[in-house]
Amino acid sequence: MKGSVILALTGIFATSCALPAQVEKQDTLLRSMHQELARAQRELGKLDPSPYFISYSVRDEDSEVAAGTLGSLVSSTHLRRRAVDVVMRVGTPELDNAHGENRASAITSGTLPLTDDPDAIAHVLWQLTFNEYRKAQQAYLNVKTKTQVNAQEEDTSADFSKETAEKHTEYTELAPLPGQQALEKIVRDYSAGLKPYPYVYSSGAVVSSQRAKSYFVSTEGAQLVAPSAVVRLVIQGQTRANDGMDLMRVETFQSESLDRLPSETQIAVRVKRMANDLKALRAAPVAEPFDGPALLSGRSSAVFFHEVLGHRLEGHRQRGEQEGQTFTKKLNEQILPKFLNITDDPTQRVLDGTDLSGWYEFDNEGVAAKPVEVIKDGVLKNFLMSRMPIKGFSSSNGHGRSQAGLMPTGRQGNLIVTSSHTIPDSEMRQKLIDEVKQQSKPYGLYFEDIAGGFTLTQREAPQAFQVLPIMVWQVYPDGRPDELVRGVDIVGTPLAAMNRILLTGDKEAVFNGMCGAESGSVPVAAVAPSILFSEIEVQKRKHSLDRPPILPPPGFENASAGGHR
Amino acid sequence: MKRTGIGSWLLILVLIPACFGQGAADNDPVLQAMRSEMERSKTELKLEQVPAPYYIDYRVNDIEEMIADAAFGAMRGDFHTRIRFLRVTVRIGDYKQDSFYREGEGVGDFMPVDNDVIAMRHQIWLATDRAYKAAAQALTAKQAALKQFNVEQPVDDFAKAAPVQSIEAPAKLDVDPRPWQRMLRNASAVYEDDPLIQGVDAQMRFEAITEYFLSSEGTIVRSGHNDYQLNLAMTTQASDGMRLDRSHSYVTANLKELPSEREFLDKANELAATLKQLREAPIVDDEYRGPVLFSADAASNIFADFVGQNVLGAKPPLGQPARTRGAWATSYKSRVLPDFISIVDDPTVASADGHSLLGHYTVDDEGVKAEKVDVIESGKLMNFVLGRLPIRDFPTSNGHGRGRLPATPPGPSLGNLIVHSSESVPAADLKNKLIEICKQRDLPFGYYVDTLGPRLGPRLLYKVYVKDGHQELVRGAVFGDLDTRAIRNDLVAVGNDVYVDNRVLNIPHSIVSPSILFDELQVKRANANKEKLPEYPAPPLVSGK
Repeated sequence: MKGSVILALTGIFATSCALPAQVEKQDTLLRSMHQELARAQRELGKLDPSPYFISYSVRDEDSEVAAGTLGSLVSSTHLRRRAVDVVMRVGTPELDNAHGENRASAITSGTLPLTDDPDAIAHVLWQLTFNEYRKAQQAYLNVKTKTQVNAQEEDTSADFSKETAEKHTEYTELAPLPGQQALEKIVRDYSAGLKPYPYVYSSGAVVSSQRAKSYFVSTEGAQLVAPSAVVRLVIQGQTRANDGMDLMRVETFQSESLDRLPSETQIAVRVKRMANDLKALRAAPVAEPFDGPALLSGRSSAVFFHEVLGHRLEGHRQRGEQEGQTFTKKLNEQILPKFLNITDDPTQRVLDGTDLSGWYEFDNEGVAAKPVEVIKDGVLKNFLMSRMPIKGFSSSNGHGRSQAGLMPTGRQGNLIVTSSHTIPDSEMRQKLIDEVKQQSKPYGLYFEDIAGGFTLTQREAPQAFQVLPIMVWQVYPDGRPDELVRGVDIVGTPLAAMNRILLTGDKEAVFNGMCGAESGSVPVAAVAPSILFSEIEVQKRKHSLDRPPILPPPGFENASAGGHR
Repeated sequence: MKRTGIGSWLLILVLIPACFGQGAADNDPVLQAMRSEMERSKTELKLEQVPAPYYIDYRVNDIEEMIADAAFGAMRGDFHTRIRFLRVTVRIGDYKQDSFYREGEGVGDFMPVDNDVIAMRHQIWLATDRAYKAAAQALTAKQAALKQFNVEQPVDDFAKAAPVQSIEAPAKLDVDPRPWQRMLRNASAVYEDDPLIQGVDAQMRFEAITEYFLSSEGTIVRSGHNDYQLNLAMTTQASDGMRLDRSHSYVTANLKELPSEREFLDKANELAATLKQLREAPIVDDEYRGPVLFSADAASNIFADFVGQNVLGAKPPLGQPARTRGAWATSYKSRVLPDFISIVDDPTVASADGHSLLGHYTVDDEGVKAEKVDVIESGKLMNFVLGRLPIRDFPTSNGHGRGRLPATPPGPSLGNLIVHSSESVPAADLKNKLIEICKQRDLPFGYYVDTLGPRLGPRLLYKVYVKDGHQELVRGAVFGDLDTRAIRNDLVAVGNDVYVDNRVLNIPHSIVSPSILFDELQVKRANANKEKLPEYPAPPLVSGK
């Protein structure tokens, strides 16, 4: 399952402020990385085949995590580590060890000593480097043989693009972490907010706080040092309807530091709303399969675009021999209505006061982030590129991203959908009703919130997507109040769905989340206005048939209320 | 309200003894939570058309753990955690045939570490509900599966056991990790004297576990234990590329038994020195057949693999008629070892030869009192270590049902496997005996195994020469026919020495073993790939430490 978005919140790099070069010289870790890299380049350069590119990236991170349920602490952990990735390419940029399915041969990962002991750091780097060389050179020989034996590939692009070696060093001192006790209090307090509701069967709060310094050096001469900090709070509640359907609400919050999270009162209001939503959901009827007009809130549209379109615009998916390549040959063709533009812009840090999680200055291949206009006036113009070239696109646009330990691929940062055919948000519901009447449908659907979804992009699977709506309302044309329904999944194929967009609202909504794919979990944002579709297809969600718990929850033994039976 | 004076002192005096008695159990919030949920689950948990449970148990493990590791003289990881796991088993049916099958084998989850009774009960409540529903499905699935087989000698699904009440003090992890971390750093710095050492890792893992158990049969147990581990591991390559490893672990239930910093550093230096000797040692010849002497340390691995694994009374998969899953499934009452060897598994002993035993416990994870089991009497297999899952001819548990939370249900496991011999000889004489056998067979040398590595591969192996008794370290050997047949037929003598091999792996247990002599074993050249040497040398030292 490729490209699922899971609700969560995301990291933002701390304020930039470069310091003099002396600090760099005092940075033992950076110096050891440079020295070992130079030695590896010199020594391995004598061999045949020899690497033409080596990079070291280190993520020096300090993180605290606490989890709680019903006002009680479940776990509390402090972790400090220096994760290191050694990336090596043997052969030539035209054909190297990372070709095709051998991508993993270009990376070896480990952990470095936590103290600035130059000898210990150098020894670990040395070990990882010669082990990586063995893996890379063997893969390179296989790649060479295979390309001689196999038929020519459809896309004969090179394996590694040429890029400017960036130099950027920041030594901003980050604020200390809040401390375990502060985090423990937070999860106790917020998880206690769901204690009064007997029908919220399982619930919990998780808060994490992390600060990190990222280092990147390469044999091309790149040198990057950047600090980052993030706090994430996730609160979750779950209930089960009498037919066995599990129903979940999740609220997530993120900021650079604890004091920038929403106020306790604001969060408490959201927690209370979660409980009310869950109560309403378990009483809601199950939706019937439906095909008709639908309105997606801005948040829902953002998830929809991330899943349905965003993942298919990732550069490497255009050349993989296993990939479905939905949009590969559609370059310069109209794939969306003319009034829609889509840009992926990792350089945008804040939108209307909301921090965007997909913000970064340099990607995980050391390439400077750039805004990429992927769709202009509905026409496909570009892809999200890492340093893996594809036909017609020979260089990276700063979207090569990964989590530590995995090879970067083209990924989304901040996917921003804008529209020139808008009406005020307040009129969108009426437009939906108009469309329902025009199509003589009994009702239309309003998707208030979508939890995430997944997209299949591989050839052997149907080229379909599925998103997981949580709060869905049936909107009637005859003035009846909107009715909450449950158990709805949006289904369909991407190209068909896109062409049924009629118009959009005028307010942009932000969805911050963690996105998972081959290159791991990376923070992303999707931004979109609310959207009216002439047609959306929904199916019934598969769900367990397990009944709700037989006995009442502890603490509610004598209360037959709460509707748990 | 503040009242001081003699009254409060009295109160404390009254409370202190209670800490280790039933009173403590009443006040323990974890046990309180378990009891409350047990009470109502026993009486109220019932779906229409599904039988009520005939048995329920709750297990909670409260684990505090400190882990740290150092590599090349510097700390690389440092981790401290406290966590509580819960496991709930609900059985429907009866002792003869019940729902303990696949998904019916129990449900695991986290439990809050705060002592909030309602929050803890909430987790138990959810897990119990899930376990009951899973049991209903499992029973149906099991009955359907059994219809395919014709079971000749049906064995009960669950053994009856007498209820046990045992409340011990909870375990605490009361250690300052800093001096230990300094030891790890210093020990892992041995590479500075030998540029050919490619990897060196020193690790500590200290753990305190308080286990809680409550069953619907009336068993209630609280127990606490600690284990402390220090590990050293190093690797190098000989000039021909052969990979050479050395490692040493100190594992104990008692902090005081861990080595001093001096002893730990000496051990690190000793490992480094033996790696150097190994690099220069000759490779063994093609094949040798003759006597081989194993140190008590090396012998403990042999007993663990060939006896330990085969005395587990593990019930075979549904429908299979065998008695157990092990190699001795059909060997009950047969000779499996020489008649001068007897082996017991005895969790009730806490130490041997002055070393604490990790396999010591009083009540197992199924709430059954631990018993000493005579598994091998005068070479004959007479018993198995058993949990409450009966096997043919062994209908009851002997208190060996254990399992690590949260993932696995308890099953038959070793406690303290102790090897005895009725004809042990002074350990020092075994070498003479080795030479004697060599002489009788005109062999110029025999073999002495000091240390074994994974898969019983020798790490320190010496040729012992007949003419003057001198030892020569060799490398690159494997044993050709070291198996259950060899320990039955070729094991000819046992030393009077004792090695305590404490093992934390999965379930903590101990092997207590003497040195042993085989009169014939095959020692041959390993057929392993030789790695290349590093493509370029280790980085030169710059810090001048």
